[in-house]
Amino acid sequence: MNLYEHTIIARQDISPTQVKQIQDKYEKIIEKLKGNIVKTENWGLMQLSYLIKKNKKGNYIHFKIECDGPAISELEKSEKIDKNLLRYLTVKVKKFDLETNYFSKYDEKKQ
Amino acid sequence: MVKKSNKKKSNQSNFSKLSIFQNQKFRFKRKCPLSGKGAPTIDYKNIKLLKKYISENGKILPTRITSISQRKQRELATSIKRARNLALL
Repeated sequence: MNLYEHTIIARQDISPTQVKQIQDKYEKIIEKLKGNIVKTENWGLMQLSYLIKKNKKGNYIHFKIECDGPAISELEKSEKIDKNLLRYLTVKVKKFDLETNYFSKYDEKKQ
Repeated sequence: MVKKSNKKKSNQSNFSKLSIFQNQKFRFKRKCPLSGKGAPTIDYKNIKLLKKYISENGKILPTRITSISQRKQRELATSIKRARNLALL
């Protein structure tokens, strides 16, 4: 089992309920492949520093996952096809930093 | 609008690093600011830290100017590239 940090950016013109759906969808995929989700962070709608497919803003969702390598490749495979997503990034880490949240500001604004 | 003000700030800080006429103390500062006790951790999510080490055009500053140790500079470069991919920088 390895530890991964996984971030996805969804399109700007998506409703908050749809964002929740996307989050649930990928959580289910990981659980199906015997992975364990340690934490999910919703960074909310943030300004992109450059245009991606004519989007100025993006919905950021961040996962901290504990799973095997093949599960990640399966996850990325389904994300490639998804038209609601702009980007994804997976980083393998040795240790999870669960305390500091660099984007907590954006969550507070929403609530 | 917010972006512009941010860029100006980083502009000034970088110029002070590059200038020949700057304070001697800071010109020959040899200690690495990112290693040792109490140093901030390098991470692609920590944009505040990464913004210090890019030029006004978004390029990564060389070790010559930043005086970061070689190992940390490598870490920094990869995390800056990751942040760029996520459109955070």
